[in-house]
Amino acid sequence: MIDSSLRWVDDRLGVAKGGRTFLDKIFPDHWSFMLGEIALYSFVVLLGTGVFLSLYYVPSAHEIVYHGSYIPLRGQRVSEAYATSVGLSFDVKSGLLMRQAHHWAADIFLGSIAVHMARVFFTGAFRKPREFNWIVGVTMLILGIVNGFLGYSLPDDLVSGTGIRIAYSIMESIPLVGSYLGFWVFGGNYPGSGIILERFFILHVLIVPLLILGLLGAHLGLLVKQKHTQFPGKGKTEHNVVGSPMFPTFMAKTTGFLFVTTAVIFLLGGLAQINPIWQFGQYEPFQISYAVQPDWYMGWLDGALRIMPSWEWVGWGHTLPLEVFLPAVIFPGIIFNILIIWPFLETRKTKDLAYHNLLDRPRDRPLRTAAGTAMLTLLFMTFFASSTDVMANFFEVPLNDVLWFFRFAVVIAPVIAGFVAFKICNEMRAAEGIGKRKRALIISRSSTGEYSTTEAEPRPGDGSEELEAIPVPTFIDLVPPELATGAGVRRVMR
Amino acid sequence: MRRLLKARYLVPATLVGCVAVAGLLSFSPSAAQASSSSTGGISTPTTSLPQQVTTQTTTTSPIGTPTLPSASATAKANSASNQTGLFYATLPKAFIAPGQALFAANCSTCHGPEALGTTRAPNLQGLGAGTVDFWVSTGRMPLANSSMQATRKPPRFNRLQTLEIAAWVQSLTPGEGTKVPIVNTNEADLEAGNTLFTLNCAACHTITGAGDALANGAYAPSLHLATPTQIVEAIRSGPGNMPHFSEGNITNAEARDIASYVHGVIQHPTNRGGFGLGGIGPVGEGFVGLLLGVGLLMLVCFWIGDRT
Amino acid sequence: MSDESPRLEGPLPPAALDDPHLQPYAKHPEGTQAIAAVALIIGFLGFIGFGITYWVSDNTQWEAVTLGVGMLGLGFGVITWGKYLMPQGPFVEERHAFHSTEDERAAMTAAITERGGMVVKRRKLLGGLFLLGSTAMGVVLVFPLLRSLGPKPGRTLFLTNWKKNSQLVTVDGRRVTADDLDVGGVLTVFPKGYEGSSPDQVILIRLAKLGPFDAPYPLSPPGRTDWTAQGNVAYSKMCTHLGCPVGLYQEQTQQLVCPCHQSIFNVNAGALPEFGPAPRPLPQLPLKVDNAGYLRSQGGFDQPVGPGFWERP
Repeated sequence: MIDSSLRWVDDRLGVAKGGRTFLDKIFPDHWSFMLGEIALYSFVVLLGTGVFLSLYYVPSAHEIVYHGSYIPLRGQRVSEAYATSVGLSFDVKSGLLMRQAHHWAADIFLGSIAVHMARVFFTGAFRKPREFNWIVGVTMLILGIVNGFLGYSLPDDLVSGTGIRIAYSIMESIPLVGSYLGFWVFGGNYPGSGIILERFFILHVLIVPLLILGLLGAHLGLLVKQKHTQFPGKGKTEHNVVGSPMFPTFMAKTTGFLFVTTAVIFLLGGLAQINPIWQFGQYEPFQISYAVQPDWYMGWLDGALRIMPSWEWVGWGHTLPLEVFLPAVIFPGIIFNILIIWPFLETRKTKDLAYHNLLDRPRDRPLRTAAGTAMLTLLFMTFFASSTDVMANFFEVPLNDVLWFFRFAVVIAPVIAGFVAFKICNEMRAAEGIGKRKRALIISRSSTGEYSTTEAEPRPGDGSEELEAIPVPTFIDLVPPELATGAGVRRVMR
Repeated sequence: MRRLLKARYLVPATLVGCVAVAGLLSFSPSAAQASSSSTGGISTPTTSLPQQVTTQTTTTSPIGTPTLPSASATAKANSASNQTGLFYATLPKAFIAPGQALFAANCSTCHGPEALGTTRAPNLQGLGAGTVDFWVSTGRMPLANSSMQATRKPPRFNRLQTLEIAAWVQSLTPGEGTKVPIVNTNEADLEAGNTLFTLNCAACHTITGAGDALANGAYAPSLHLATPTQIVEAIRSGPGNMPHFSEGNITNAEARDIASYVHGVIQHPTNRGGFGLGGIGPVGEGFVGLLLGVGLLMLVCFWIGDRT
Repeated sequence: MSDESPRLEGPLPPAALDDPHLQPYAKHPEGTQAIAAVALIIGFLGFIGFGITYWVSDNTQWEAVTLGVGMLGLGFGVITWGKYLMPQGPFVEERHAFHSTEDERAAMTAAITERGGMVVKRRKLLGGLFLLGSTAMGVVLVFPLLRSLGPKPGRTLFLTNWKKNSQLVTVDGRRVTADDLDVGGVLTVFPKGYEGSSPDQVILIRLAKLGPFDAPYPLSPPGRTDWTAQGNVAYSKMCTHLGCPVGLYQEQTQQLVCPCHQSIFNVNAGALPEFGPAPRPLPQLPLKVDNAGYLRSQGGFDQPVGPGFWERP
């Protein structure tokens, strides 16, 4: 049956040749190559739960009276956006599960992109010929962050509404065009004509996801065409890929991983409460709560805004609010630009124009590792700086002291961290036998009292060092030819 | 199985486990006390402190065992506010003498024998019985550490003694200051309380009442243990850095609504979505999502993939 | 996805079934299969459980647990199948250089430059005109994309609805008298008719209980003592950093603290920022008391409210 269906399709599309090549594709098995899959599968969950939510949510600032199940809100005038979001949480069957799973999936999506990006960076997988894929990936990261912000602002609650106010002011701070940009995007002076929720909605459910999907297709397509990188090891060269075949092994493992990722997201989605908007109330521009932070992937921007000194430039009839413009526009601009052009920065420094399909161990590139560590430390410091008030409360330290600490830590800590990372790399490289997987030794004692050791069996996951890698066999002798019956023998020539 | 106990699983699993425990319980000390009230929508009494004031939360009858003047006498005096579910009690004259004795023994060292204050403590004359009741019934007074903001702790005196001290201080300046309120939360308008709380209280105490650090070493405390009486007393007397909200600002009905909202909703939040993570918002959610979510999935990657 | 290797015309030799590469990892495949089977059964039961929970109770926690157990079961089972029961390999695939040969590159370059050169060089006029037209299209298509979105700012950012003699009201529309607040009291007010309006939000603070005939409260910015009214002082509630409402008032230290990024404003000194990222003081609203005892504004703010922007002088 497979034979005849394939024949029918191949007559029209010619897919058999490419299809077989695809099924024989080899994926290296290292665990760190699966981090991107976490991102991919959490994106799948985002799409699925997102479709569900979009069938109930109304992106309108038009005010109605709340009549749902949450009693402390009953009778209050709220926007339809808020009312439908609370409605999803209380009055739609499995609505709260889908809403929370969607939000957790977004957090995990961006978190896994971060660790995936770190893996790619520290192993040098972005080098020729994969610079395009790196740029596509960084772009998806930026789009993901933007879409996350747009998404959690949709319910029009007190906490996310404060974030929207801040976004407006950041736009406003851009010299020359800032006030125009704010008025145009929002439809007037803040809070605008109310159209902002509809614009956020269409960006969040249509425009940005389409962009991400397109880039995702390019990302995976490049991966298939250029083949995955691999760590150096026995039998692995710049001109081959050693690992598991796409069908059936890799498909099984990755499908299983899709299920597991979905499981973790839904378990969090029902057991750990996230963004309880009914407790926050409808957003009003003259109301606010204390101890408000954005979601974690925006935390570094909020932290930068908090620690920035109040340097505003005023002159010649104009104001340049540097205390906003620098941390919220220039700083992320620099970070993202460094990320995007990093492969070219590195090529310039190392003058290395060769193809690289084998990965580096981070210790073999101390400068790159140190630079990456410094960058990560900087982002961590600004991330922690976004919770200065929570930290002051928890550690019972004055708020002012916490803020001064971070102003210095943000500059000093990355330097120290980079330096330490550099030193560690060099020391690890100098040490003999470090990092090598040691085989267990079984100690046995002979009857005369002598000790001897034998190496233990290799374990699965040791890279199957005992076997030489072979190409994927196209035909397998499932049935020895002497026993083959007439029907069902599938080979054309034998 | 032995493989699972190897360091490469044990270390990250322990890390994830520790964060799971920490993240799912709470992060701030004040929220830790509230975590008993924020599990899965079950409403449990929030306070574990031996405060007798909790008995009066939802009744119209006078508080505790001591006899207050009959309801009709005070009702006549506060007939207008009686309809709002909040009226102010006049403490019996019989409380004054034992109150003076208690004050002399416990408070006069710092506040002076006539409560006029010394270099160590402020003048209490004119503050009213309600103010004294707030500070003493929340355990803030007697002060444990004079170098930092007074914190809530188990009260030193029982309800009767607290009211006696309050009555004595009030007697020094009759009619002045905040009186002890009697709060009936039964007919409260929760939606109005919600609106008022958000506008007037959330900016310092946070929208979930978790409290947070203020400037110059001060902090706004968590509201998870306050009784309706203490809430109204705080609103009216503005302890410490808290503003004073007089009747022209927040009426008696509004104060009753706020107290009911705090007692009913803030202290028994609807955590329909699962563990409340301490109610501190995206900081806790980020930790859980990254360390628990991504961390667990990375552990699965360790299992599926190779190490070399 | 086309491959660079040549088309397959003849049969490839089959691999033997007992080839070590085709054997599963698991030392005891039957036992491992049993484990995977149990996991898949648990998964199946989990999904059934979800179905039941959905119809019976709609309890979020139970829905999550059943769905999670279902997914975990299936996932664990399939992963076990894939990792321990499928051919262990390792398998190898050659990387063929996928870049074109020098000749192909030369041909591609030639296709563009020679054929293109033939027509464009000879028809420079047409090329230039097409470029001109396309550029014009590109430029003007930006107009509806951007300009139609909203109005021009104009003078809007410089003005609020506070005028001479505007009445101070609460968000419910209740008029505010000079004695409504106690010392240390704080209230959010708006001009009458604009309750809830974002740029008009004002925070009213009572610094002292002064009577109508007492000397005005001594605020430190010079020339502003007559901006207070019987000890009441009013500032724009919109933080000059990023526009968050500055609702946090510390009565003892007489500081307004913005909850967003902890800018601290000294209420006695004209809301001068003492700490944190806010660059300018909160604009002060001059107050007065009318004949009936109600608070009114003497006029609007003396500067634009809220965060900084380019056109702000």
